[in-house]
Amino acid sequence: MLTINLFNGLVYGALLIVMCSGLALIYGLRRVVNFAHGSLYMLGAYLGFTIASQSNFWVALVAVPAIMALFGVLLDRYGFRLLQDRDPLTVVLVTFGLLLVIEDFVQTVWGKSNLSVATPEALNFSVNLFGTAVPAYRIGVIAVGAGVALGLSLWLKYSRIGLFVRASSTDPTTTAMQGVNTDALSAGVVGLGTALAGLAGVVAAPFLALSPSMSSDVLIDSFVVVVIGGLGSLSGAFVAALVLGLIQSLGAVYLPNLSAVLPFALMVAILLWKPAGFAGSRT
Amino acid sequence: MSISRIFSFSGAALVAGLALTFGVSSGTVLSLLTQATIFAIFALGVGLLLRQNGMASFGHATYFGSAGYIIGILLQLKAVPAEAAIVLAVLGITGFAFLLGLVIVRVPGIAFGMLTLAVGQMFFLTANRSRGLTGGADGMNIEWPATLFGFPMSAIVQPGHMFMLSWAVLIVCMGGLALGLHGRFGAITEAVRDNEERARFIGIRTLLPRAALFALSAGITSVAGTLTALNTGFVSPESLHWSVSGVALMMVIVGGYKALWGPALGAIVYFLAKDVLGDYANHWMAIFGIALITVIVFSPTGLAGALGRLFKGKRQPRAAAAQAAQATQAKPVKPSAPAARTAH
Repeated sequence: MLTINLFNGLVYGALLIVMCSGLALIYGLRRVVNFAHGSLYMLGAYLGFTIASQSNFWVALVAVPAIMALFGVLLDRYGFRLLQDRDPLTVVLVTFGLLLVIEDFVQTVWGKSNLSVATPEALNFSVNLFGTAVPAYRIGVIAVGAGVALGLSLWLKYSRIGLFVRASSTDPTTTAMQGVNTDALSAGVVGLGTALAGLAGVVAAPFLALSPSMSSDVLIDSFVVVVIGGLGSLSGAFVAALVLGLIQSLGAVYLPNLSAVLPFALMVAILLWKPAGFAGSRT
Repeated sequence: MSISRIFSFSGAALVAGLALTFGVSSGTVLSLLTQATIFAIFALGVGLLLRQNGMASFGHATYFGSAGYIIGILLQLKAVPAEAAIVLAVLGITGFAFLLGLVIVRVPGIAFGMLTLAVGQMFFLTANRSRGLTGGADGMNIEWPATLFGFPMSAIVQPGHMFMLSWAVLIVCMGGLALGLHGRFGAITEAVRDNEERARFIGIRTLLPRAALFALSAGITSVAGTLTALNTGFVSPESLHWSVSGVALMMVIVGGYKALWGPALGAIVYFLAKDVLGDYANHWMAIFGIALITVIVFSPTGLAGALGRLFKGKRQPRAAAAQAAQATQAKPVKPSAPAARTAH
């Protein structure tokens, strides 16, 4: 019983990692808290539903992030770049407007009823884990989360573009003076962040129901993660995502009456202790 | 604005509202206007926080919906008379928001918005799940007594009277705020908004005024929630949902938050537009989303700012010039901006 709950916590934590790394990347380069991130995840899930039913799940897994990346690049080019000199709050409200438009679009195209995506055949079996049978697909979700966390960390730390991204998120002016095309860099990173939101949506589709409320649920959890982990910190977000995933899963089973309050109680406690989040250095 | 002007404007607005009540005979139009007025009070609360503190709340539906729940639960338990329940709801929410404010206003700028959203959603989920107390997703009826403050309930809820009451509350709130912000409190909060560090250096304790402002803004919002509870006699988790906070914030931005009356204007425009759109209103989210983006990009001061420019351009060219001169002065770096960085 405990094993399966811990396991489900890790699955949700892995999903949150994919979501939050997108949020953190976009925040890092553009200083935008993207309120539309949850809607992008929802859009990814619904696009995944359509593509998976037309061809198969694996095509969706590749195609959706690609489509979303293109969308992200356009969003940066015709949105964030034009607004970069304005008050940060302005841009946040633009993303809020975008959220409304995307939600309406999804409801218009796919309707308001719950939809579901079938688990892909290749992963539709159970694995014995410490004496408990767990679905293989969920192990795949954990692998995706771990892969994203590891891949991003290595990419940022060791690649040349990763170096530019880190430099630009600290000081874009100086980085640009060194000959880095920061506009292209930002467009690429916003594209990557948006692609990750789409990826999270596709990955979530076979084990969470597709519904109009799916975006706000995950958006709010992602915000809690990002605030707890510290706004600027990717590694803080990874840890916070796992912690929140476990709390959500264990809380729902052992403290059902308090489960809605637990993440927020944790958040308030962390903020009282460290207003910048537990890994956040800047405010 | 001088104090005498505040009083004369408030008086004129009250008379205008009264005239409207007698001029409009249709009950449907009056109840639409009542709703718009109640949301104008709600938006006034949200706008106050943005104008005076530079903070956008995505969670004010909490205070809007909780007012109805507190009154409903107190009346259901027959714990106190209805008049006391109203006072307790407004004071309780204001007090709670003050305590919450002490924690969350310390979080800089945008993270504050994320926090208010998260806390608000916690209340939504809790109300949704505690079926015993709140009726869960079905909501609860509020059992108002036959008389309230000496007036028969049946008279209060007549469309004309309900509109008059809401309008009067709106004007009193707005006038009261204009007076309250005229003095020391307004000056302090503006100083803290513009440069918290500098305000601290000159000896202002910045946490208390910001928390007080947060509480005041929640208090005004709870007044709007109380009026809704009176108007509909019903409260459901829908009223706590974060999309309601989002709508209120949208009214604030579209109306323009630099002027005190901007948010109220935004609320009234929102309801009238929704009514005029009629069948297209199914797509209100997309329509208002696009409207929100357009206003932010092309007219950051909203409708109030646009009207103000139109007005001032004709009447007081000197005031506009003075404003322009002020605007050219170097702006202090806002402490709320995360990791202040230079434009590139």
